[in-house]
Amino acid sequence: MSTLTQPALDEARIDRPGRASNILAVVRLHLVNRYSVFAVPWMIMAGIFVVNVAIWWIIFASVSNEADRMDARDGLEYSGALFYIFVYMLVLGIQSVAYTFPFALGFSVTRRDFWLGSALTFIALSAFFSACLTVLASIEVATHGWGLGGTMFASFYFGGADASWIERFGLYFASYLFFYFVGATIATIYQRWRNNGMLVVFGTLGLVMIAGIALVSFTNSWPSVGAWFDSNGPSGVIAWSLVPTVIAAITGYFILRRATPKN
Amino acid sequence: MSAVVEVSHLTRRFGDTTAVDDVSFSVQKNTIHGLLGRNGAGKTTLMQLLTGQDFATRGEIRVFGEQPVENSGVLKNVCFIKESQRYPDDFKPRHVFTSAPWFFPNWDAALADRLIADFRLPLNRRIKKLSRGQLSAIGVIVGLASRAPLTFFDEPYLGLDAVARQIFYDRLLEDFGEHPRTVILSTHLIDEVSNLLEHVLVIDEGKLLIDQDAETLRGSATTVVGTRQGVDAFVADREVLHRDGVGGLASVTVGRLTPQDRARATEMGLELSPVSLQQLVVRLTGSSRTSSSQTVLEQSA
Repeated sequence: MSTLTQPALDEARIDRPGRASNILAVVRLHLVNRYSVFAVPWMIMAGIFVVNVAIWWIIFASVSNEADRMDARDGLEYSGALFYIFVYMLVLGIQSVAYTFPFALGFSVTRRDFWLGSALTFIALSAFFSACLTVLASIEVATHGWGLGGTMFASFYFGGADASWIERFGLYFASYLFFYFVGATIATIYQRWRNNGMLVVFGTLGLVMIAGIALVSFTNSWPSVGAWFDSNGPSGVIAWSLVPTVIAAITGYFILRRATPKN
Repeated sequence: MSAVVEVSHLTRRFGDTTAVDDVSFSVQKNTIHGLLGRNGAGKTTLMQLLTGQDFATRGEIRVFGEQPVENSGVLKNVCFIKESQRYPDDFKPRHVFTSAPWFFPNWDAALADRLIADFRLPLNRRIKKLSRGQLSAIGVIVGLASRAPLTFFDEPYLGLDAVARQIFYDRLLEDFGEHPRTVILSTHLIDEVSNLLEHVLVIDEGKLLIDQDAETLRGSATTVVGTRQGVDAFVADREVLHRDGVGGLASVTVGRLTPQDRARATEMGLELSPVSLQQLVVRLTGSSRTSSSQTVLEQSA
């Protein structure tokens, strides 16, 4: 077939919009269903907040001694309430590849543009939600725990009550990015290799963890592992999460490059 | 005429199954092609290869003169509607139609609105809760309103009722007349679309059996009906595509007949009837003896 080597026959006739517009279209596609992207996270957050306020109020009402109140307040610093919101982001990250990727390919998007558009969406959403949490944390600190001495946003894991707003923002941001990208990358493994891929990856991960634990145990290194966590503090650990986030973002791209959506 | 799609020696293997087996053909611009074949014949895989969704094991694909994989310039001009299309979990049809124009530069919103009304598609119901037919309607609407220069429909109307299917055929022809484009349609309802098709590709077990314009194909086989003796005498030296018989009567399908053949058959008191596209495909792909049937058609074409 000699015709195959001819230059593009329809060069003049086919549309070639810029790459940026393709990537932007993917971002808009991720955000088109405002309900699940914006409304649901806020509803989850509001639900958790209401439950927490109720608990703070119970503590506040039943503890009248000022010293005991301070004690309770110290305990509340270790609130893991925000964790749920990050789990939802992990789910959104998974769904963005599990559902939106096959759909976007049906809309003639390249895998490259899909991944870049998704990454941009994750970064934008992480920045937006982090900004909101930062504002809420500032209100929390300013009102002395919503008037009840409670802690949800300015918890120990995100710098505690004394952190600067920029430090808090950075920690939220890194956490959001981690859950979005890790979720999306797990989903790319499924898109590429289906169930077998998931089994191999999680099996390998399990083995690696056991091997790691064995290594640390046999070399009596637990104290130094503890020291690492201690010296970095929660903020340092969250900052270090950027490393697996970046690794996930890059491997996800290469896994998806050769993936074919199937039903 | 120029070729929009050119495929040469295309092969796609999954493990030890060969879904597409050394296929070569080209698709001319602004024609409606039928891609016919049984379940699992390789139709969807072939379309996935042509739209860059799947990767060839061997061979070459050119769409608008370029290879389609990860080629956004080419893909922008392609729309692939497949029966098994997945939608994001919480999507409603309105999300699909809101986002479609961002991806298809030629999107016609007025046409989409008209089709939504024609198909009576509820826009605000979650896609998960739609019926099979309504789900298909979404695909059909996107396929028509996107006006992509190259549009693939893979079993587009599973679950659509007869009225809705007729709407699809009518709108397709109507819009095709005003905005010519290249359409590749795969379907099981061959008789329904046979008037629509200008060119037919038949694929079976990954191999391309027929690549021919529909007009030629329609006259390429004839069924001869009459007494067993008469029919046997008439078809004695011809290759037989299919044979049926009840008692002393026989019905035999053979390849193309010349006017002399026809005259002779009439003299012998035999009845001749044209074989529909659907019957032809059934006869060609229904047996395992496809290779000999194919030879008959090639000789008679």
